[in-house]
Amino acid sequence: MGCCYSFFCNDDSSSQAGEPTERTHLLVNPVSINTTVVHANSEDYIFRNANTLPKKTDEQSALNRILQETATNVIDVAALDSHNLQHHEYLERMKHYNVKVQQVMGNNRNALSYKVKLSLLQDIPMPEKVMMSEPINPEDIKLINSFLSSAVASIQDIKVEHKENLVEPFGINC
Amino acid sequence: MEKHLNRVMEEITNQPGVYGCVLSDHQGLCLGAHGQASTESSGVITALAEQALKLEPKSVMPIISLENDNRQLIIRRHGVLTCGIYKSVCN
Repeated sequence: MGCCYSFFCNDDSSSQAGEPTERTHLLVNPVSINTTVVHANSEDYIFRNANTLPKKTDEQSALNRILQETATNVIDVAALDSHNLQHHEYLERMKHYNVKVQQVMGNNRNALSYKVKLSLLQDIPMPEKVMMSEPINPEDIKLINSFLSSAVASIQDIKVEHKENLVEPFGINC
Repeated sequence: MEKHLNRVMEEITNQPGVYGCVLSDHQGLCLGAHGQASTESSGVITALAEQALKLEPKSVMPIISLENDNRQLIIRRHGVLTCGIYKSVCN
């Protein structure tokens, strides 16, 4: 199907000299319309110019026209992208995204901190104050150690002394 | 039975500066309190000792000291027992 279409297209362009028919392209080349050049392949230009023995300037101008036509038809996607994002636009977007991230962090502070908070310890603003505080008094260590050891010993002394029967009979007399 | 335990707590409370002591088991239930220590504080004391133990699980049982300007609470756990001593601090 594609081969037939291209064949007929070429035929139309050569015979009818680019007049609009049902087989002409919908998107016509603006350069060719403005300069009233016959809509044809670039090879036709070269052949036609070579057969009619043109001057060098005509050949050069034809080549320039081809180059111009090709340049207008080409859509450089990479150049479009790079054109859209300038350096200051990068900076503006960076600031914008930072503001957005800060807003989200501020709104969901409780939920996020709940997920992040995995350790028991938290950061404190002035750690040197806590680090400089005096350690526990050795006498207090001795005191609590003696209390613990004697308490453990006394706990082990606790035994259940039953003075009465653990099982009390009810209603056996009758 | 618990006379020995009461005597130990009384001896501790008679130490200079000490005005109360409390003993609790591993579940935070009060085994005994003497002086100006309430039996209701035993659960909090056990929970504090457990949390402090989680900081460095492989080290020995830590001694926790809570202080303000004129009072001090010393907590230590040993096995299933947790004890707390209330002291008054004179600066």
